[in-house]
Amino acid sequence: MPQTKIKQTKKNQAKPKHRPSGIPKCAALKDKSFYFMDIVNVIKHTGTKAMSLKEMRDAIASVSKDCLFHHTCQYFSKGNIQEHTNDFAQWIYTSLEQSILAEQLSNIDPYSFTSMTALRKHFLEVIDNYIENFPEPRVALPDEAFFFNEAVTFIFPAGVKARNLAEFLMAIKFVDSSSLYYHFYEARSRLRKGTDDFSKWIDEVGKAPRIAERLRAVDPFMNNLENVREKIIDILEEGIKLEMGEMG
Amino acid sequence: MISDYAGISPRRDILLIQQLCKKLKGKSFLHINSTKEGGGVAEILQRMIPLLQGLGIDARWEVINGDKPFYDTTKTIHNTLQGDNMTISDKAWEHYYEINRKNAAKLDLEADAVLIHDPQPAPLIDFRKNGLWFWRCHIDVSRPNPAVFSHINSFAKKYQATVFSVPKFAKPITSNEFIIPPSIDPLSEKNMDLTDEEITEVADRLGIPRDRPILLQVSRFDRFKDPIGVINAYKMVKKYNDCILVLAGSPASDDPEGEEVLAEVRKYAADDKDILILLLPPFSDLDINALQRMATIVLQKSLKEGFGLTVSEAMWKGKPVLGGAVGGIPLQIVHGLTGFLVHSVDGAAFRIRQYLNDPEMATRMGEAGREYVRDNFLLTRQVRDYLSLWYSVKNRKKGPTFEF
Repeated sequence: MPQTKIKQTKKNQAKPKHRPSGIPKCAALKDKSFYFMDIVNVIKHTGTKAMSLKEMRDAIASVSKDCLFHHTCQYFSKGNIQEHTNDFAQWIYTSLEQSILAEQLSNIDPYSFTSMTALRKHFLEVIDNYIENFPEPRVALPDEAFFFNEAVTFIFPAGVKARNLAEFLMAIKFVDSSSLYYHFYEARSRLRKGTDDFSKWIDEVGKAPRIAERLRAVDPFMNNLENVREKIIDILEEGIKLEMGEMG
Repeated sequence: MISDYAGISPRRDILLIQQLCKKLKGKSFLHINSTKEGGGVAEILQRMIPLLQGLGIDARWEVINGDKPFYDTTKTIHNTLQGDNMTISDKAWEHYYEINRKNAAKLDLEADAVLIHDPQPAPLIDFRKNGLWFWRCHIDVSRPNPAVFSHINSFAKKYQATVFSVPKFAKPITSNEFIIPPSIDPLSEKNMDLTDEEITEVADRLGIPRDRPILLQVSRFDRFKDPIGVINAYKMVKKYNDCILVLAGSPASDDPEGEEVLAEVRKYAADDKDILILLLPPFSDLDINALQRMATIVLQKSLKEGFGLTVSEAMWKGKPVLGGAVGGIPLQIVHGLTGFLVHSVDGAAFRIRQYLNDPEMATRMGEAGREYVRDNFLLTRQVRDYLSLWYSVKNRKKGPTFEF
């Protein structure tokens, strides 16, 4: 899925007028406004399930890239309200009670990989290494199987735009949480540089590099979507006050 | 009207519904099931069809008719798909098919998209005229009677897509298998906001004292809902915290065991005046709403469950909930965040005591539960998902990501 997205971005940079959107596309537009987008994932069942670590390992090795993307990068679209940072780690912790492995998998940043193939390889290395040291973890209870899913994704304008930092701050306060997910999390798999749509726009269009830098320092894995919203608001309010003070 | 949901449902759901309806404007969407009233499917369709019509979709709802032998067979199909060990004769299968053939001749099956609900009308696919056909299975077919499943599957696999409520209820049938959970309507009589006066009126009428915490379970009197287990949990709690237990349910005319279970429960609770057993008439939605709103804690301590939407109903009212870790309940209760999942009577008693002794935590989990339902289990999300299913199957070569 991320590969497809990169291709689409390039293609649309050639035809920017068809794509009012967040930063990667609007950078190519004459209108430098930030267009907020919403995103919705509708779940599809792949028919694959796992009852044990071995079955999960083998499934991770063979499921589609869309499926892998769904359980790792898209995990945060569910609000990131649980303890771990991907569906695999969450299940391994709650249903197999393998805390060490769950911790190891939770520390993987899925957005830092250049492809789903590389991410898959890393997950398998970590699991294989764990199985070597702890060969027989228990299986899940009959009602607690892990089901491998993928998503059909809809991305569409939220009907909100910001032309400057003040408008951006107002918009952040009331956009749907899916906009936060799309621009703060999903953007990382599009931009691939450890950055997100918000800080990129604030840096390049808003000309506020210090605010952008502080936004980039917000840990996406340790905050749920509403915490992210609060942190962005705090950073913007402080940053705007500071800039106004410097100007005045 | 979709605008009635503004400020209640997530903005993204309303926006996507509007976007998809613009793209599908004027096209026809036919739903077919086997009953016009009673049951969750009919309840949702009654609300969904006018909503779609208001958005420019030519939405229709048809109901198939059958005779007693047909309904006897479909009841057996329903039970055996959920694992019961019964057989269906060739003659019964033939009659089941024949009734569907007769309905197909009577009904207008022409539509751009057709959503068939549950096994009763599944054979209608053989009489498809045009459009995309989807089969929506609301029941748990994860451990079915193989022979019955094989027969139903022979119809189901002819559909362009299949839909289940939860992955664990599903069986791989088509390559397009969607997971679309059911939903509650926040504007219906069962879930709309009530004033304190309305709640007090119901409490007074039903004789419910409000001077102590109220534990509530709303369900049919069915052994799978474990009413005796709930009473036992209440008795364990009562040693430490004074409280009232309300067990409320409606009689089910198609469930002869219900009377027996109700008698058992009444006998078991007989010597405790703080246990109130309420037998509500069918369609007591307003009373159920008020009961859920006056409760301190809502339980759904099922041993076996379908989706268990009463959990979402209580969560929508901001109530701390606990439920058995069965069926669709774990999808609604994220343990420790939006409620507690329990695995025993002791577990239920323990969690009730936790809630009663830490009202701040109970309030926090109740609020988290309400937001979780807003995000995942409101009618608008289900409408959004049905339209998404239709649009994505129609444009499957352009997917799986659609940008508008």
